[in-house]
Amino acid sequence: MDTLLYLTRRIAQALVVILIVTVVVFGLLHALPGGPARGILGPQATQQQITLFNHDQGLDRPLPVQYLYYLRQLLHGDLGTSYTLNEAVSRLIEQRLPKTLVLTVLSAVLGLLLAIPLGMWQAVRRNKPADYVITTLSFVAYSTPVYFLGLVLVLVFTQVLRWFPSQAPQGDTVAQVFADPVALVLPVVTGAASMVAVFSRYMRASTLENLSEDYVRTARAGGSRPGAILWRHVFRNSLTPVIAMLGYYVPVLFGGALVVEQLFNYPGMGLLFWSAAQSSDYPVLLGCVLVISVATVVGTLLADVVQRIVDPRVKAGRT
Amino acid sequence: MNSILEIANLGVTFSTESGDVPAVRGVSLRVEPGETLALVGESGSGKSTVALAALGLLPGNARASGGVSVGGTDVVGAGEAELSRLRGRTASMVFQEPATALDPLTRIGKQIAEVVRNHQDVSRQEAAAEAVALLRRVGIPEPERRASAFPFQLSGGQRQRVVIAMAIANSPGLLVADEPTTALDVTVQAEILDLLRALAADSGTGVLLVTHNMGVVADFADRVAVMLEGEIVETGAVEDVLLRPTHEYTRRLLAAVPRLAVTGSGSGSAVSGEAEGAPVVELRDVSVQFGRGPRAVRALEGVSLTVRAGETVGLVGESGSGKSTAARVALGLVAPESGGVSLFGANLRRTRGRARRALLAGVGVVLQDPVASLDARMSVAECVAEPLRVHRRGMGAVERRERVAEVLELVRLPRELARRGPRELSGGQRQRVSLARALVLEPRLLVADEPTSALDVSVQRTVLEVITELQAELGFACLFVSHDLAVVQRFAGRVVVMRGGRVEEQGPTMSTLLHPETEYTRRLIAAVPVPDPVLQRERRERRLALGTGAGA
Amino acid sequence: MSVQSASRWGLVAQFPAPLIARFARNKLAVAGITVVVLFFLFCFVGPLLYSTDQIHTDLTQVNLRPSGAHWLGTDAVGHDELGRLMYGGKVSLLVGLAAGVLATVIGTLWGSIAGYAGGWVDAVMMRVVDAGIAIPALFILLVVSAITTPGVPGLIVILGVVSWLVPSRLVRAETLTLKSRDYVLTLRAIGGSHSRAITRHILPNSVSTIVVAATFQVADAILLVAYVSYLGLGVQPPSTDWGGMLSAGLTAAYSGRWWLIVPPGLAIILVVCAFNAIGDGLRDAFDVRGRG
Repeated sequence: MDTLLYLTRRIAQALVVILIVTVVVFGLLHALPGGPARGILGPQATQQQITLFNHDQGLDRPLPVQYLYYLRQLLHGDLGTSYTLNEAVSRLIEQRLPKTLVLTVLSAVLGLLLAIPLGMWQAVRRNKPADYVITTLSFVAYSTPVYFLGLVLVLVFTQVLRWFPSQAPQGDTVAQVFADPVALVLPVVTGAASMVAVFSRYMRASTLENLSEDYVRTARAGGSRPGAILWRHVFRNSLTPVIAMLGYYVPVLFGGALVVEQLFNYPGMGLLFWSAAQSSDYPVLLGCVLVISVATVVGTLLADVVQRIVDPRVKAGRT
Repeated sequence: MNSILEIANLGVTFSTESGDVPAVRGVSLRVEPGETLALVGESGSGKSTVALAALGLLPGNARASGGVSVGGTDVVGAGEAELSRLRGRTASMVFQEPATALDPLTRIGKQIAEVVRNHQDVSRQEAAAEAVALLRRVGIPEPERRASAFPFQLSGGQRQRVVIAMAIANSPGLLVADEPTTALDVTVQAEILDLLRALAADSGTGVLLVTHNMGVVADFADRVAVMLEGEIVETGAVEDVLLRPTHEYTRRLLAAVPRLAVTGSGSGSAVSGEAEGAPVVELRDVSVQFGRGPRAVRALEGVSLTVRAGETVGLVGESGSGKSTAARVALGLVAPESGGVSLFGANLRRTRGRARRALLAGVGVVLQDPVASLDARMSVAECVAEPLRVHRRGMGAVERRERVAEVLELVRLPRELARRGPRELSGGQRQRVSLARALVLEPRLLVADEPTSALDVSVQRTVLEVITELQAELGFACLFVSHDLAVVQRFAGRVVVMRGGRVEEQGPTMSTLLHPETEYTRRLIAAVPVPDPVLQRERRERRLALGTGAGA
Repeated sequence: MSVQSASRWGLVAQFPAPLIARFARNKLAVAGITVVVLFFLFCFVGPLLYSTDQIHTDLTQVNLRPSGAHWLGTDAVGHDELGRLMYGGKVSLLVGLAAGVLATVIGTLWGSIAGYAGGWVDAVMMRVVDAGIAIPALFILLVVSAITTPGVPGLIVILGVVSWLVPSRLVRAETLTLKSRDYVLTLRAIGGSHSRAITRHILPNSVSTIVVAATFQVADAILLVAYVSYLGLGVQPPSTDWGGMLSAGLTAAYSGRWWLIVPPGLAIILVVCAFNAIGDGLRDAFDVRGRG
């Protein structure tokens, strides 16, 4: 019963956020030079066509009314039409999004699998040389623009070492993507690098905090060994706040995907977005922004729900 | 003959940012099997450090010298592996804060089973069964079901029982208890002490009890060692030390302890009887609810109380009784759902804006935490002058400075303190600065919420004396919230006993506390330990005959 | 000067001593400060000592390797690369600094108001923040780049508007904590106003959180500036910044002209790293909680 209430509240919150996102996107749509008409009809349209279009679409009505029309359009799944590719934006996104999700999910999983043990290890070896080295490496990884890192990896691993191809798998469907796993390695590693840096820092901080908690002292007083205490008690307690941060990291992952796809020519949503930006294809641009933002909100919601399942205190509303 | 704990010339030094701090110097003591030695002292005496040293649990920046021997094993030089074998088996420890002592994400049955399996070669099921048996032994009702509970589902007293279960799991020869009941309500404290006493008697365990509470010492200990600034100044049998102290510090310490008068007509109460002045603050049938829907908490339910001009009303109760909430309602910080609140005759809920500010200028506030009550970024002078800045904008800087100096003198602090920052002051000094700030506008009402609870007993006495003196001199009314019945008895003319958000009973202090009408109040008073071992034993027997609430 | 302000100075003077000591013990943080100072000197004092022409192109000197005459070689239009590094650095550093500070200021205002007001005001303001966080910055920047090309002030504003969300959450959390401190409660109980509570107690005690947040924001902003040029939103030639140099030199990387991408890349990494290290050190010294 409690859970139902919580879920309802969270979903309501998420809907409000999505609504605000649509307002932002709508605002951008109207900030375009020439207005949305030009955005939809294309740069070639004549003034007469535009006036007619405006009247048809109700674009000479007051803004709030237009916003409602826009919302109605969205609810019907209509994101407009790309005028360079001549296809419905929603179809384009439908085609590309799964591939981007493959990339981001793989990067995230790899990132977490590396970051969590690394962070814990650093906390246990606090201020020893190993800790400093990894901290420095984390800072460097975190401070490097993704495209630079990608470039360096490409140069080293494809030109010099020739272990991996410099292009990501070019399939149309997810299955085709997985048919060439070797080509996926570099893109996924590039996407994961920043995540490893950030999450290992979080895990380190969280573990350090937990190591000085009273329950560790109680366990020691009961005769438990340090290793056992670390895995049986500290690990789970340290993990919870880090999982909470995942939700907020989703937009960063998508931003990274944008750059990685462009660099490795991976036919996902990021590359679609990139090309659209080059050709000022506004419907595609704005459609992508909307979809990505909604994906992020959903991602945050999921992270919250997972946290609730994992941490019994959150369920009871106490921490 | 063989002591279970033998400490010879123990020295402990901490290396901190500001240099080496010697916390313990040349401490020697022993605990025989089956006896309880209480280690008493105020904060900074080093008593907790000695307790931690006994189990080799000192933090990384501590260096220990001297000998600590537990059940024949030397602790000071021992490696971690050896210490792990010792802890939880030969010797165990119970700590002060039950709220944080347990892993929040592991069920309590598992945590107890872990201690069992650390030292006994048993299977998981056997350990789990043992855990249930231990829960039963420490008085947790329905132990089979409760074993799968998480710590947050238990009350403070229950959590402490779980910690005790973990401590006795392998029948240790020595139990070290560091302020085991300080964080608990007084009725729960009595039960936990009963439990510890019974367990120790049952298995002949030696107990090293660290505490600052003389009443607890009188209730539980066989022998006492008094610590001051890292050294032991007096040791002896509990009757000798508590009733016939020889060292000057012990005498001072015992004199400063507020004693609950439990017999006869009782003297020593400052003010008594009914006051006749006009009501200064009045709560009429006030109810307060926090939160909404199923999670809502009724903090107050139909509470009525009055404080008249010049009198002190003590508001007592255990945690969750609503006493702090009632004080906040009186201050206008919390808006009641229903009922009326008047301050100096005006309806506080209806008064707003300038009129409200003018009303509040007549109130002084002192809260519990000496650290958080003063903004560390302001000097003492600025802190004390803040009410002047709020209500007397026209006052010039020189005049303000004078007034600040005046009021600092009133609370017995030197003028020069005005330039210092709160970080440089002791807890007692900070509370007096808080008091000075409360009095700077010559208020008609002082609301004090546990003003001395976080202070050492000797410092407590000074602060309370100052408040009493000033009240006699300046004539303000006082609403004094406290959980300490002895303090309230000494200080308040009338007392209001609260429980679960309601007023349990109220009346003149002496008659209410000596001849309580309700059973709850009777139990509450019976649970407060007095620092007289002979008297305390009698009271304990009477209390146990009364019967206590179960499994809190 | 009144007793009050004099004593405040006195307090400020005693206050930082243990802080500076704690900060100085963090070797990475100290290294960070050194790096930042060196780079500022390099970019602003450097051109006075090693002046080159960064405005006019010289097609006779195109794509030269590093040599005695040009320590870091030349680029595709003949500019001296070392000089360009200094020149671009000015833009990267200044825009990053300004955008980071702007983001922190906006975030502080938003977060402290939301935190102090509480209730539905807080809920609405934080939903706006959630929405802002949900839209990845790079995407918005790309959209903006498709619409216009702003000048330096416009760039600072855009970056600031895209980045104020994280500091706002941090400041809100801090405000919530401080709001329920005893000294604030006491002030309210005796009739003190909301504005006094905020200006005299909450904001001064939030300074450490704000400073730490600002440092991390500057680090993020400098990194974002680098992305921005890559996306085509950056300053226009002949002006440039490190990101622009990287972007222009990317094609050169495949043909082995490393001197066009390694210096700006390293510069970005070092400076952003340095600011992150400083922020980390400040946070430990102030004992502030959490980052984002």
